[in-house]
Amino acid sequence: PAANEFGGSIEVSGITNFIDNGGNVLVAGSPSLDDPLRNLASECGLEFDEENTNVIDHVNFDHADTGRHTRVLVPSSNIVKSPLIAGAASKKPLLYKGIGMVLDPDNSLISSIVTGSSTTYSHDASESITEYPHAVGKSTVLVAALQGFNNARVVFTGSLDMFSDEFFSSPVQRGVAGSPRFDTAANAEFVTAVSQWVFKERGVLRYSDVQHHPAGTKESPGHYTVSDNVEYSIRIEELVDGQWKPFRSDGVQLEFQCIDPYVRTPLKGNKDGVFSTTFKLPDHYGVFKFLVDFRSLGYTFLVSTSPVTVNPLTHLMYERFILCAYPYYASCFSMMVGLVIFSVVYLFHREPKSKSE
Amino acid sequence: EMASVQSLTGVVTRFWDEYSVKTPQRLQLIDCYLAYIVLTGVIQFLYCCLVGTFPFNSFLSGFISCIGSFVLAVCLRVQSNPANKDQFKGITSQRAFGDFIFAHCVLHLVAMNFLG
Repeated sequence: PAANEFGGSIEVSGITNFIDNGGNVLVAGSPSLDDPLRNLASECGLEFDEENTNVIDHVNFDHADTGRHTRVLVPSSNIVKSPLIAGAASKKPLLYKGIGMVLDPDNSLISSIVTGSSTTYSHDASESITEYPHAVGKSTVLVAALQGFNNARVVFTGSLDMFSDEFFSSPVQRGVAGSPRFDTAANAEFVTAVSQWVFKERGVLRYSDVQHHPAGTKESPGHYTVSDNVEYSIRIEELVDGQWKPFRSDGVQLEFQCIDPYVRTPLKGNKDGVFSTTFKLPDHYGVFKFLVDFRSLGYTFLVSTSPVTVNPLTHLMYERFILCAYPYYASCFSMMVGLVIFSVVYLFHREPKSKSE
Repeated sequence: EMASVQSLTGVVTRFWDEYSVKTPQRLQLIDCYLAYIVLTGVIQFLYCCLVGTFPFNSFLSGFISCIGSFVLAVCLRVQSNPANKDQFKGITSQRAFGDFIFAHCVLHLVAMNFLG
């Protein structure tokens, strides 16, 4: 972290190109952070605090702290509740000693994994505070994760010490009297889980085998007609321990879009990871697409589009005799029948004799 | 008002008596036919008011068929009335009936086409 510039031919643009091409990066900072890592962080949408600042918490500090309260014991409730990213939930706190970060609020791809408590702030521990600190309270981010649209993952943390053996194995207890004591902090498990997530060993999805056809047949015609019943299925798999296993979730949705989604329906998955549903096409013709856009914290983004055309009804598909027009049909025919009867009676009619007299 | 109601019923009964005596039976026959057409037309129109004009072409076809038949039957009645013989010189009652039938053919042809 303290390097003035990266060694050899590595530059910030080189690393961002690496990320743009799908590479994953794990970055650890420290209070003696210098420009290269700062530039990399601002490219990714977060900002480290100034040099020589630390994350300070006068309530949640470890008993082994030297007095400045920079050895912060982060309660387990401040760790994001996603087993994919942070591992199994545990009551153990996290030991952190380092610099703080703030996230860009407009960036929708970056999220905080570990934040400070409401008593945390980020400042130079040796100076008195004369202006509002850079990061205060719960918006002090200790570990942040970015997942780009190309599914490249980057994790930033401000504490290199979080990865150290000392932090892995020391017993921890809050410096306030009467706090519970833990034999170890959660560092070892947390760091292992985060590294597995960032280097795409966990939380990776892929799709295959997209099929759609009219309900009841198996063939996929070249086009559909308005108000058809259509069955759609997609197979989604998840990488678990190096193997692709069927994915299980209740949150996968299908959208049937023609600029705006006309139909949005949930997909039901079976045990083989095949998600399918049957629905009725809207009463609108045009070029539509089946869109599956699954975004969930910790998983890679899954987007699948299949364009189809939907034709209007041909002339022969309308009903031949309209039920509510039957009275009009009846009146037309009754007029003709009436005419025939009338003409027959009229022609064979003879004036009664008494009238002409 | 008793007097006006009485006079109304008086007028109707007087009209009915004169009509049944003075009108030739032929014309009474046409009048029955006319009443039948009016009834059909009114029923159709009420149905359309209730249900709406969904297959508008069917409604128009049925209604025009009624109206056309009514008009042609009235023409036949006018031409067959012996009291109007002076106005229709040269048109025998057979000619009148022939015109009536021909016009009806055209009317029903058009109505069936428009019925859908």
